[in-house]
Amino acid sequence: MSVPSLALAFVSEEAARAASDLVGEPDWRLAQRLEAVERVRTLPAETNQLFTPYLDLRATRFGEVAVATTARPVTDGGTLPEGASLLVEVAGATSATRVLGPDAIAGGVIVDDLAGVVRSGAAWVVDAIRDGATLPVEDPFAQVAAAVSTLDLVVAVPAGVRLEQPIVIRWRAGAPGTGSVGRTFLVLGEGASARVLEEQLPDAATDSGPQRLWWGTTEVSLAAHASLELAGLQDFDQDTVAVVNRDARLDEGARLQWALASLGGVLHRSRIDNRLLGRGSSVHQVEIGFGSGAQLFDLTSYTRHIGEDTTGDLLSKGVFTDRSRGYIKGLIEIQRTALGTDSYLGEFGMLLTKRSRSVTIPSLEIDQPNVRRAAHSSSVGPIDEAQVFYLMSRGLDRETARKAIVLGFLEPVVARIPLPEVQERLRALLDAKWPRVESAIAA
Amino acid sequence: MTTDTRSAVQDRRAEYAFHDDLIYLHEAKRGLTRATIEEISSIKGEPEWMLQYRLRAYDHFLKRPMPSWTDGLDRIDFDKIVYYRKPSEREEKSWDDVPDQIKATFERLGIPEAERKFLAGVGAQYDSEVVYHSVKEELSKLGVVFMGTDQALHEYPDIFRKYFGTVVPAEDNKFSALNGAVWSGGSFVYVPKGVEVPLPLQAYFRINGENTGQFERTLIVVDEGASVHYIEGCTAPIYATDSLHVAVVEVVALARSRVRYTTIQNWSNDVYNLVTKRAHAYEDSTVEWIDANTGSRKTVKYPSIYLRGRGATADIISVAVAGRGQHQDTGAKAIHLAPDTRSRIVSKSVSKDGGRASYRGQVKVSPGATGAVASVRCDALMLDDESRSDTYPYIDIQEDDTSLSHEATVGRISADQVFYLMSRGLTENEAQNLIVQGFLEVFTKELPMEYAIEFNRLVKLEMEGSLG
Repeated sequence: MSVPSLALAFVSEEAARAASDLVGEPDWRLAQRLEAVERVRTLPAETNQLFTPYLDLRATRFGEVAVATTARPVTDGGTLPEGASLLVEVAGATSATRVLGPDAIAGGVIVDDLAGVVRSGAAWVVDAIRDGATLPVEDPFAQVAAAVSTLDLVVAVPAGVRLEQPIVIRWRAGAPGTGSVGRTFLVLGEGASARVLEEQLPDAATDSGPQRLWWGTTEVSLAAHASLELAGLQDFDQDTVAVVNRDARLDEGARLQWALASLGGVLHRSRIDNRLLGRGSSVHQVEIGFGSGAQLFDLTSYTRHIGEDTTGDLLSKGVFTDRSRGYIKGLIEIQRTALGTDSYLGEFGMLLTKRSRSVTIPSLEIDQPNVRRAAHSSSVGPIDEAQVFYLMSRGLDRETARKAIVLGFLEPVVARIPLPEVQERLRALLDAKWPRVESAIAA
Repeated sequence: MTTDTRSAVQDRRAEYAFHDDLIYLHEAKRGLTRATIEEISSIKGEPEWMLQYRLRAYDHFLKRPMPSWTDGLDRIDFDKIVYYRKPSEREEKSWDDVPDQIKATFERLGIPEAERKFLAGVGAQYDSEVVYHSVKEELSKLGVVFMGTDQALHEYPDIFRKYFGTVVPAEDNKFSALNGAVWSGGSFVYVPKGVEVPLPLQAYFRINGENTGQFERTLIVVDEGASVHYIEGCTAPIYATDSLHVAVVEVVALARSRVRYTTIQNWSNDVYNLVTKRAHAYEDSTVEWIDANTGSRKTVKYPSIYLRGRGATADIISVAVAGRGQHQDTGAKAIHLAPDTRSRIVSKSVSKDGGRASYRGQVKVSPGATGAVASVRCDALMLDDESRSDTYPYIDIQEDDTSLSHEATVGRISADQVFYLMSRGLTENEAQNLIVQGFLEVFTKELPMEYAIEFNRLVKLEMEGSLG
């Protein structure tokens, strides 16, 4: 079975050159774009044969979406949310604004488009982005972003700076029938620490219509002993196709936490690549998807243990109702150099309706047996009736008990959202998914 | 490692490594063409439908690309293989009638001895043809049929045609198509309604000739309420060039029947072992695959059970030991198609001396298969830094009241355990041996005792000198 290439009309040399048209964008970036155009043209849509049976792009209408091609500079503007250290807000394909709080300014945090960073001469940031080969070259979805991103957003925290309050990066999908492609680089210098909240939200005016497309990345580079907690909340309309690549490289002793919640989109395709390069680096990842209607959550995660004594603790959970589906695919690779690895991959599904579907593929490839732990587990099942019974014996009615169990199943991600009001919003969003469950049960 | 422990293990592998310089009664030219297939079918005097089946399968084989999801298969040179080698005139019922040279081979492998001791029936296949089959008289009287598949095509044409190719169609994969085109030999088993076969039936497969392809085809039909245990073993001499073993095994377990199929695969390290094994389990039946792979250069085999009837049960134990130059790409599949079905998969693998053990498995619960319960457990031991272990499980659940659990671990032998055993007087090698045997016990305890001893001996030999 051969997999065709993505064959996307909006990815072309012309589009790559147009997207590159910001004063100061370096030549190497254009060269990277042109290489990426070629990869998108030639690579099959899924190069990993383990996962080809579970690639499903039938819901996409790439041809009907007008994808923005004009480069977007970052300008000043916006209102800093309560408790945040800085805000970047990107609205559709039109504008990108930033506002920095006093801590961010005092710490010398850089927030700009890549061209602006190059102009400002922050070599340590540019080097981390250029040398890192940050996106997987075999993944055409990632290469689309490399090719035609019209906003390369950079947030960099200098060495030794510890930002207590979260950085908020807010992306809004455009109007129906439009699409946008962008990249986000998060660069932390040695010993720096930060918390980031990434929000992917629907267009403010949410009239549904033709399909929209949101295509983005989060590319994390952590220098030695840097620490990043990143929480992501995706709540697009159900007519949106969301494609997200998240990629992280960790140097010695660096720590990364992902807490990612995905609720919206007709198709949410996500791929995470963790590369544990430095000795003692660690990644903790918790990912949840809550599907309803005809949603498909296609969540892939690769974790490569390369350095010694690295830790990977990865958990993916999906709750599926109506006709929604989850394809949760994971691969842990323990390379020969990775002595003393501790690695765990868990993939769990909960099906609430007869027509929902859960696919989990938790794979391991191990070349080094000297591990502290190398394990995975997976389970799929309905709501545990014993738990329902217990809660009912404490006075809850059946539906409340069931809901409490589902929300409890997803709580590990909710608890890691840094801003209290965003945490509450996520709880409310999860709660709002529930009536569909009730109607599905009644039906 | 001391010479004492070495001599304590009796190396019987050399006993299997010989080959006979046999003049074959018939030998097809190297390579595969329509003419080869017509020749095989004609020698066998087959009905026209079977020739047509073979030719259809051949067309599909040519069309189907080589699977690329596992590596190394592109090294097989299909043109170098001899697809048919006939060692004797007919299948004998009496051991005395088997040609002397072939008889000597199986005597060395201990086959008639085993038959006398504890088997209900024995079959032996030498290259392409079954040379011997016998079944205890009292079972024959009850209607139990155990014979070469070719013979069954002639003697039981109705039941043969009803089931042949229904569990594994020729179009299933490239290798089932190849087998469909050139199949020869294998066992046919039919157990009538309500008959319980008390002792195992055993088949023994031997590749003798260089570059030989062995393409046996086994069909087991167990009627309602009946039960049987089928065991197969296989060996081949070592040549420097590759041999090919591409078998298809079809099991039909009708309502309330029980079928256990045990394999101890110990091909020499130049054999590509590419086997499709699948069972259909009907209402309230139980099918068990007990599958161990220690030999071959590369094995690609995932014994599968399609749970088609309400209340059917699948139990698969898959064991693999991968040493130097070997890749055991093995696993299991349980496909739940009916309500209240259960499956259990247990996989244990050991990789050492640069060998690679991969578990590839699938559990699928289709719409309509309500109340399914499935569990998968995969454990892998890696004995050194040069080896590799992979786990590729596919779990596809389409019913909301399924209960599925999957767990996998990979690790090496714990130094604490070895230390403890050494403190009790064992050498390091003995300690490791014991731990590996304990790790694989889930498999060995399912074997008849004679087999369990033999299997432990095999593992012990594989373990020899594997310690730094």
